[in-house]
Amino acid sequence: MKQLFRMIGVLALATVLAAAQSVSKETYDFNFIGQPLPDTVLQHAKETFVLFGCAYCHGLNLVTRGEATDLMHSRLVGQDVDGNLIRPLLRAGIPQTAKLSPMPQFSDLSDQQIGALVLWIHYARSEGRFKELTEAKDPLVGDAGKGKAYFDQKCASCHSGSGDLAGVGKKYSGAALKTAFLKPRTLDRPRSWRVDELHDAKTVVAKAQHRALLENYSAEDASNVTAFLATLK
Amino acid sequence: MTTTRRDFHKLVLTGIPSISMAVAQIQSKPNRSLINGVQFGLQPFCYHDLAMNIQNRAELIRRLVQNGMGMVELHATWCEPRFDAPGVSAKEARQKLREWRVSAPAEYYRKIKMEFDAAGITIFTYYVNISDEDTDAEIDTTLEAAKILGANGAVGSYGLNIAHRLVPFPARHGIFLGLHNHDNLSDPDAFNTEASFEKGLSFSPDFKATLDTRHFTAANGDCVGFLERHHERVSSVHLGDRRKNNGRSTPFGEGDAPIIEVLRLIRDNHWPIVALLEFEHGTLRTEVEEVRLMFDFCKRALA
Repeated sequence: MKQLFRMIGVLALATVLAAAQSVSKETYDFNFIGQPLPDTVLQHAKETFVLFGCAYCHGLNLVTRGEATDLMHSRLVGQDVDGNLIRPLLRAGIPQTAKLSPMPQFSDLSDQQIGALVLWIHYARSEGRFKELTEAKDPLVGDAGKGKAYFDQKCASCHSGSGDLAGVGKKYSGAALKTAFLKPRTLDRPRSWRVDELHDAKTVVAKAQHRALLENYSAEDASNVTAFLATLK
Repeated sequence: MTTTRRDFHKLVLTGIPSISMAVAQIQSKPNRSLINGVQFGLQPFCYHDLAMNIQNRAELIRRLVQNGMGMVELHATWCEPRFDAPGVSAKEARQKLREWRVSAPAEYYRKIKMEFDAAGITIFTYYVNISDEDTDAEIDTTLEAAKILGANGAVGSYGLNIAHRLVPFPARHGIFLGLHNHDNLSDPDAFNTEASFEKGLSFSPDFKATLDTRHFTAANGDCVGFLERHHERVSSVHLGDRRKNNGRSTPFGEGDAPIIEVLRLIRDNHWPIVALLEFEHGTLRTEVEEVRLMFDFCKRALA
């Protein structure tokens, strides 16, 4: 008898949970927002971007809709560091414009909310640029000399062709090499919230720098650096 | 589909119903989204997850019914094919659309109208943006398409200069032309303030205002005062909420737009002004659910 009651209890609980899930499925806009991301901080940033209407004009993944600015290729977004340019622009809006609808001002948002918008813009931009650089139909043939010059200027403060990257051209080839340098694995790793790893400045800085580079590589840069890295046998 | 001179004369002889009569018909016809004397409809731009194209038109109709809407402002892109494709330049695609527009048979639009009729949905207005790129022939066939679809008017986002050019067109097709405001106060050509509407409306008696409460509020306009003074020239309101001073869009009731007051003005004065729900505030809910909440807000305002 006890077992029967237990079974009924389990069944009742399962029914309630299934009902709760179906309600959330019915009301959450998966069609527009997509499936939740594994990184909950990023997921919150994405939802904030939707919640304040940014996604309806700029596109959830920054594929712009209508007359809104193309954030994927905007120079200002590319130069922004932690919202130093985006934050004041969001607060003030762009009232002077030749467009039908000026960019609204978001002066009533909290710093946390603006921070979430900035986070999503940079994340979505780097993801979009990565896609553009790796899915190009006719990839350019890189110039290793120009790639070395780029590497010396932008990468050499942290990496070395004879140190951590020695033999990288042997380890990877072609598209895999390009992918590995454009988006090192650390970029996709969610941030750890363990107290002993919370303030790992090296990883945080490395991720920020790689993401900033990814947001700004031109197709030529990407091909040239790949060509240079391929010489590191 | 082009209206010939003979067709035009036939129309004149049979009598083109006046705009006010056409609008008044809406009031006399029971419609599923006529609520306590206010006719509601939807600007289906609200279904943000649904690309506005021919392929999604059946889904649009399904959602409108699901949301209890009996009236819609139909954007031309739900009816017109798209010609942009890989390898086709924007200029080429535009030219192909132009050619399609002037050659599309009337039957094409009649069939679309039947789809909406079958679902009990009236197409109140046809939304199409007109610019300097549009030829006169293209404008004529587009407005005629609106007429065939059963629309009382054609609405679009353009400024005073284009509106001035459009003066002779609506009368040829027996419909009105709706002037729709945005909130760009830096553009002297834009519809953005009461003064700009007054100027545009003075161009032709066939012009009507499509007052967008969100943008008018963001441009620090007075929606209630505007309706009080110009209700006879207002065909519809795009009903949504926004904050003043070029502020952001908000859920209904959280911004500065006087939504409840506007609805009660329309109801208490029996004005034949259609309230077209529209939202641009973000939501994590499905669009159908969000429209349902907005509509509930309005129904409570009129209870």
